[in-house]
Amino acid sequence: MRHRALAPILVAVLLVGLLPGIVGGQWVKIFTSTTCFALAAAGAGFMYARLGMVSLAQVALMGVGGWVTLRLNHATGLPFEANLLVGALAASVLGMVLALPALRMRGLYLALVTLMVAGAFEVIFTAYQFPNGGAGFWGVGTSFSAPMRRPLLGESDTAYLRYCLAVGVLGFLLIELHRRTAPGRAWALIRRSEAAALASGVNVTLYKTWAFGLSGFLAGLGGGLLAASLGLLDAATFKASESVLLFALVVVGGTRFWFGAIVTAILYRVVPGLLNNWGVDADLALVFFGAALLHAVITAPDGIAGQIAALFAWRAPHDRA
Amino acid sequence: MIVLENLTVRFGGLVALDAISAGFAAPVSGIIGPNGAGKTTTMNVISGFLSPAAGQVLVDGTDLLTLPPHRRTRWGLRRSFQREQIADDLTVWENLLAITDNLRLGRREARAEAEQAMEFAGVAVIRDKAGAALNTFERRLTDLARCVAGGPKLIMLDEPAGGLSPEETGRLGDLILRIGEVSGARVLVIDHDVDLIQRICAQTLVLDFGRRIAFGPTAEVLDDPAVKAAYLGVDHA
Ligand SMILES: Nc1ncnc2c1ncn2[C@@H]1O[C@H](COP(=O)(O)OP(=O)(O)OP(=O)(O)O)[C@@H](O)[C@H]1O
Ligand SMILES: [Mg+2]
Repeated sequence: MRHRALAPILVAVLLVGLLPGIVGGQWVKIFTSTTCFALAAAGAGFMYARLGMVSLAQVALMGVGGWVTLRLNHATGLPFEANLLVGALAASVLGMVLALPALRMRGLYLALVTLMVAGAFEVIFTAYQFPNGGAGFWGVGTSFSAPMRRPLLGESDTAYLRYCLAVGVLGFLLIELHRRTAPGRAWALIRRSEAAALASGVNVTLYKTWAFGLSGFLAGLGGGLLAASLGLLDAATFKASESVLLFALVVVGGTRFWFGAIVTAILYRVVPGLLNNWGVDADLALVFFGAALLHAVITAPDGIAGQIAALFAWRAPHDRA
Repeated sequence: MIVLENLTVRFGGLVALDAISAGFAAPVSGIIGPNGAGKTTTMNVISGFLSPAAGQVLVDGTDLLTLPPHRRTRWGLRRSFQREQIADDLTVWENLLAITDNLRLGRREARAEAEQAMEFAGVAVIRDKAGAALNTFERRLTDLARCVAGGPKLIMLDEPAGGLSPEETGRLGDLILRIGEVSGARVLVIDHDVDLIQRICAQTLVLDFGRRIAFGPTAEVLDDPAVKAAYLGVDHA
């Protein structure tokens, strides 16, 4: 129990304290975006592990968070944190709207509904692009691009990486806080069976909606952070296929352990960068991911995180004896 | 007093409950009958998982059917299921909190209730054990603890002794009889173990194919030729 709590603290300190200092060049941005996607992956992962619900719109929700954050950045003089928070809340609200079909559906049907939503956002993002300081509601100008403000604590790329890592740690803590309190217990019952949850007095509608809201919030946070890392966002980043890929990697990374989301984001962002460095076609990563997914489905149901945990003989929160 | 009045449930052409009426006045009462008789269906109506085509459920004058399912728990309804419903990811303690969370109690009060219920069912010693690691008896006891927590008014146990050895069944029966000492709840028990029913239930309702074939003091009911015939039918099946 003691060293179980120690590992996450150690990882957080190492990441926030050391990582920004040792990486350089393009890797600063790659790790920043890895952190953003880790937040989104953590959201999708906890929904899958705690509620057994598959959301294939997580990257699309990142896009929503990014869109709102950018829009506010260019339309108002509000500080970065305020824009980020509103962006995350917007994604959270949209996540809760997604929960409406989830109240009646599970499994494949729910996954299909979320996939269609991701597809709809792909169409919208492609048609209207992301705000870059232009006029009108969509805020897109063709010949210029106004800068995206960064937080005061993260003006340089390196400082911004540290900033994102710190926000990432807060995001993971938010999930852990939920897991240990009434919502986490309600979700565990819902996963056991909805009848069991109802018989225990759980308001199933409320808690399912809450889960989607939290997951959307984390995705939106990731999207907003990504926007300020890059200065502007590209519709191609948020295609429906990216949501599907991220979810597949969430399974590969493993959802029952908190660091599964980190593994997922590293696979999603760092591995293609590495392949690129080695002169290998980054598309080959997809082949590798496909094989990894098969491996996960067939032999490693707890993903890479589960295998790492087995290596250190840690146990998942639910089989501690 | 638990009053079932004219309770009728249909699944398509199948009449799962055919105008069932009964008034349970005993602290612990039973519902028995062969497989598919409609026992679980009766509990599902009381829980609010099914809406009856007709009929009423009144507990000490409260019309339960007007409350949404999760509100019935706050009112004081508890139940266990034929297949125990312990959340594997939660410890025994967390499994208890999962119910007191929803009762509109203060934090301290909720914890005290959960603590007391664990103590009662004898699972306090395994409070930190994960649901996944519990054996059948520990699961049934944890389920019972959940039913006792937070001042229940009506507890329904659907085959609580399922999968238990005779000795474990005996201990569970003792506990069910002692529920009255720690709460004012009335208890309704479904079980196929007629010995258990005979030992703990003062009144028993017997269903067969959705119809009430007997109701009254348990000893009389078990002596009823119609009940014997229904059970013989099962034995030959
Ligand atoms: N949701 C449902 N949809 C359709 N038919 C159902 C449903 N639930 C129960 N039934 C049918 O209603 C009848 C009564 O079922 P019920 O589960 O109440 O039986 P039971 O007395 O609890 O039996 P057992 O001792 O096997 O648990 C059965 O014929 C069953 O197949
Ligand atoms: Mg039954």
